[in-house]
Amino acid sequence: MLSIQLNRSARISLYVLAGAMALSAGVGLAIWDRQPPDARELLALSLPDAQGAEQPLRQWRGKVLVVNFWATWCGPCRDEMPEFVKAQRDLGPRGLQVVGIAIDQPDKVVRFAKDLDLNYPALIAGYEAMEVAKPLGDRLLALPFTVVLDRQGKVAHTQLGPMKPAQLRKIIGDLL
Amino acid sequence: MCAVFCAALSFAVGSALGQSPLPPDRAFRFSARLIGPQTVEARFSIADGYYLYRDKIHFAAEPAAGLSVPALPHGAAKEDPFFGHVETYRGSVVVNLSLTEAKPGQQVVIAAESQGCADIGLCYPPTIQRVAIPIPEGSPAPASSGESAKKSWFN
Repeated sequence: MLSIQLNRSARISLYVLAGAMALSAGVGLAIWDRQPPDARELLALSLPDAQGAEQPLRQWRGKVLVVNFWATWCGPCRDEMPEFVKAQRDLGPRGLQVVGIAIDQPDKVVRFAKDLDLNYPALIAGYEAMEVAKPLGDRLLALPFTVVLDRQGKVAHTQLGPMKPAQLRKIIGDLL
Repeated sequence: MCAVFCAALSFAVGSALGQSPLPPDRAFRFSARLIGPQTVEARFSIADGYYLYRDKIHFAAEPAAGLSVPALPHGAAKEDPFFGHVETYRGSVVVNLSLTEAKPGQQVVIAAESQGCADIGLCYPPTIQRVAIPIPEGSPAPASSGESAKKSWFN
């Protein structure tokens, strides 16, 4: 009888312990999932520009960095890019660097960059480069996707879909 | 502890979209069914608020099975400032594919590549969806076609 009771107690203890472990694991995962994403993979990228010269993203460390994933075949991407051009023109001297990563063909990027008078680097990448955007919040690998990094290289903002001009200025202004 | 929680909870992935975008295979759901001995009806059912580009739709068959793809129906035309004349589909688009060399009892996988965008302001990379089509044993032997208009971007 005693041994049965002990077994029951042990079983209950085990259930409680298992429940507590599951709960803490769940809470841990929830916290982990909501942690600001890590930009190390993004900053480790080195991609060719439209002229074929390799451009490591690390070269812009220390600046407020706006990395915009885009493509010429993406209308919403093209629509928001004039705002990035204006931001680079106005805030570049204060330490802003916009970098475009085009999931596209170089000739199309060159033509579009010329049409727009693009004043920031347009790097060229294949879809595989989009994998770095996944942990940053672009789980569907859709475009446009924008990541704003502070001067220390920490992620300050990520956004799927176009950024509104005032929102962009506010986010950048707070970091400069 | 609160510091961790508060920092974690206060960080939010911003979005101008206001609603969660659908994954591409739900936004542009592909289906295919045999409607004749050598004919497959291929259909994209496009969710409200999404559209597909006509010139970005491609089909392939695995094995090739003499796949022949007719011209796709015309979509809504618009002048794109960069690409010029483009056509898009909303709602649905249906095209009948021919499998002129499919053998009875064989299974043919139709692979459909598509690419489109959402009105909420984003575009998806090209997506390939596959549907397996079993060719019934009782199907008549297909007519031989030496040079069918094969279209396979996998080759």
